[in-house]
Amino acid sequence: MGRTSEGATIVAASLLAAFAVALVNFANGETVDSQIGLTFLIFLISFGTLYVAVRTFTPRATPLLIAPVVALVGLGFFEIYRLDPARAGLQRWWMLIAAAIASASLMLLSKGTTSVLRRYRNMILLVSIGLLLLPNLPSDWAFPLRGLEVNGSRLWIVLDIGIAGMQFQPAELAKLGLVIFFAAYLADHQKALREAHRRLGPIRVPEPRQLIPLLLAWGGSILILIWQRDLGASLLLFAGFVLLLYAATGATGYLVAGGLMTLTGAAAAASVFPHVQRRITAWVAPFEHYQDEGYQIAQGIFALGTGSLSGSGPGLGRPDLIPNASTDFIFAAVGEELGFAGTVAVLAIYALVISVGFGISFRSRDTFRKLLAAGLTFVFAVQTFLIIGGVLRVVPLTGITLPFMSYGGSALVGNLMLVALLLRISHEESG
Amino acid sequence: MNGPIRRVAIGVFTGMAVLLAAVTWYQVVRADELRADPRNPRPALAERGKERGLIVTGDGTVLARSVEDPDDPRSFVREYPEESTFAHLVGYSSFLIGNAGLEEVYSAELRSRRDLTISDLVAAILGQDLRPRGIEVTTDADLQRTARALLGENRGAIVALDPRTGAVLASVSNPTFDPHLLLGNDAANHWEALLTAEGEPIRDRATRELYAPGSTFKTVVAAAALDTGAAGPGTTFADPMEFQLPGSDATISNANRRPCNDGNTTTLLQAYVRSCNTIFADLAIQLGAADIGITAQALGFNQDIDYEWPTPEAFWDTPELANDAAALGQSGIGERNVRATPLHMAIVAAAVANDGIAVSPFAVRRVFDADGETVRATEIDELGRAMTSETAATLTQMMERVVTEGTGRAAAVPGVRVAGKTGTATGSGGFSNPWFIGFAPVDNPTIALAVFIEGSVVSGESASGGSLAAPMAAQIIEVWLSS
Repeated sequence: MGRTSEGATIVAASLLAAFAVALVNFANGETVDSQIGLTFLIFLISFGTLYVAVRTFTPRATPLLIAPVVALVGLGFFEIYRLDPARAGLQRWWMLIAAAIASASLMLLSKGTTSVLRRYRNMILLVSIGLLLLPNLPSDWAFPLRGLEVNGSRLWIVLDIGIAGMQFQPAELAKLGLVIFFAAYLADHQKALREAHRRLGPIRVPEPRQLIPLLLAWGGSILILIWQRDLGASLLLFAGFVLLLYAATGATGYLVAGGLMTLTGAAAAASVFPHVQRRITAWVAPFEHYQDEGYQIAQGIFALGTGSLSGSGPGLGRPDLIPNASTDFIFAAVGEELGFAGTVAVLAIYALVISVGFGISFRSRDTFRKLLAAGLTFVFAVQTFLIIGGVLRVVPLTGITLPFMSYGGSALVGNLMLVALLLRISHEESG
Repeated sequence: MNGPIRRVAIGVFTGMAVLLAAVTWYQVVRADELRADPRNPRPALAERGKERGLIVTGDGTVLARSVEDPDDPRSFVREYPEESTFAHLVGYSSFLIGNAGLEEVYSAELRSRRDLTISDLVAAILGQDLRPRGIEVTTDADLQRTARALLGENRGAIVALDPRTGAVLASVSNPTFDPHLLLGNDAANHWEALLTAEGEPIRDRATRELYAPGSTFKTVVAAAALDTGAAGPGTTFADPMEFQLPGSDATISNANRRPCNDGNTTTLLQAYVRSCNTIFADLAIQLGAADIGITAQALGFNQDIDYEWPTPEAFWDTPELANDAAALGQSGIGERNVRATPLHMAIVAAAVANDGIAVSPFAVRRVFDADGETVRATEIDELGRAMTSETAATLTQMMERVVTEGTGRAAAVPGVRVAGKTGTATGSGGFSNPWFIGFAPVDNPTIALAVFIEGSVVSGESASGGSLAAPMAAQIIEVWLSS
């Protein structure tokens, strides 16, 4: 697929999003209104900008990445619109902002190469940790930037500019920064990590000296996230880190140790945090606890089952019965209205994005770029698996969002920047 | 480094495959089960405001229809023009409470298939008719209204069948309710009120409740005696003041506390016509639980009867009664270890009327499409021969004598030969439960029926099958034969 057909696919995906919005309107008994045109326009402007930025700054980047991303955003968007038109209006603004930020990142990176990121890795680490700490700013001080506690977790900041408050989850950006830091650090110490190891029983581990800064950075970020009760993000970061360590060293011991630590961590979290205990109960026996803990998961499964093969049709199901349908349970909502056909398509598009990510990593000759592409893909894949798996009762629900589909501005910005980084690496490696 | 990344990639895609398997499990393998789960509110919510098909009687009386909602032209509301008269049979379609009665059983046919789903679009392209289908019931609107009016304030049920086919001509349970109460947004409150209301109007006494059949069950015992040759109408029995139950201090006496005949001897015919408990307790013990059980089972006891919806099994507890002669004696007069629904006792009367062959009851004659063309017609389902033709003929003569000179004289209709049997079963709270089963005309029966009254202050303490149920049967038969 060339650049031109990529452009055509983006237009087609934007039309599809607008068509889905039209179907939702139709199902609600309304006729053609401005929402349809507005949706098409904003999709076209947002992703058209990104497309032009790619053509201009990273012309050799893979043409296979933006189109599936637009399709995912479109599938998520119509469902958000169907559930809550006000949120969909906000999400459209975020689309413009995210595309602008991603395009700007592409432009900035074109001044140098991704090796800039490697060089300033320590600064990126500090900024990331700073971002993670932002929500702990006081909620009641006079400064316009404030922390915010939502549902017992402290993950949000509010930028209060008088007229309107803009909410943001800085962890979505910190996630990227930390992956960049890990990839850069591992690339710098790759040789030492691979060759100097000690034996710890049957497992070979590298010299502790090499690992200490890495472990500090990683442990610190995870502790902050646990302090803020963002257990989903800490699990995601932990999994991404372990996989990256394994990718850099090829030492299976990390996977084993990581797996064991995840299990003990989960057990510890379950005994410390009552809301983790509730989530495990809901995972093990949702229907036995239908009235309380299991209600959300049970409704999600009823939504999927009722959707069956072809779904109720956009706007004709009752995904509004699922609590948090537009964020955590967007997959079940799409499954109810588009059916098995829709969920298989969604899984296939995610598989495409993930394989393109892996492909970029495989083809990279530079160690840092290889690890960065791999790390970004890992985080993306693990996040997708954890939340869809949570809805499908494959794993306990962790309360993280589905990339590109869930309602949420910060996640859209973070994930589109992730794609921009992958595009940049792809461009640099195919020269 | 590509090696480990490749292995992680394989792990990631394995994970995606697991997700694909899981979503297949919910959306393909278990989809129907999840959709039908009673805790899943979606199917009922989806029916809200949708057009549903007609429910009509054979003469075109509309029992249920959908009309455009005056407040919302895109939406429909359900109407039941006969209101409470058909409430238990037709049921209701409520988005809050769910569906009941024929509205529930035939929901798949009655619902509109114009849901804009992909499968509906495909069906539309293939030229299939997506308009809701209607159902035609076998019930006669006049007969149903008559039965409802006859019951008045009484608790009870009237079921009438066509003895040749099993078609339900009337099925009324009283007290009843207005199905419109359960349609709106305040359905849950009305539902709660109906559940606790005086007389429990939500219960379908006609087909979903079991009662002791009382002396109407003597018909089954008599059929067993005739069929096995153990006794004929003229067979003589000792005629005591009261019958001493073996192995027990208890005795059984007749309703009037006197011997059946002259205190010396009586016949089976006399005992049946006068409904003598002393003789039938004796006869039941002589026949044994097993032989009565064979006839009872052939009449549909101790088995699932195929009706529009599952009905509780009428029972004659053979194993229990085989070892307890006293209980057998009491059960032989329709008490203790025997129970049946009014619908089931109508089947018993219908079997005698139909030359000894029992048929399964049904209430829906056909399903028709929006143009009125038949999509599916109900076929007659015979339960099989319950007694010999000779037994049926003899029993018919005995039942006719009940109406001409016995306990059921109030069931007589001028100019019509009516056959029947009364019953006055033990009820609760000191009241008795009057029964009447029968059929007419004797030479070519076109209606068989069961009238059941659950004793209450309305029926009074002295009400019996002969005084309360038999006159209602006469009215039903008269209305049916005059139409």
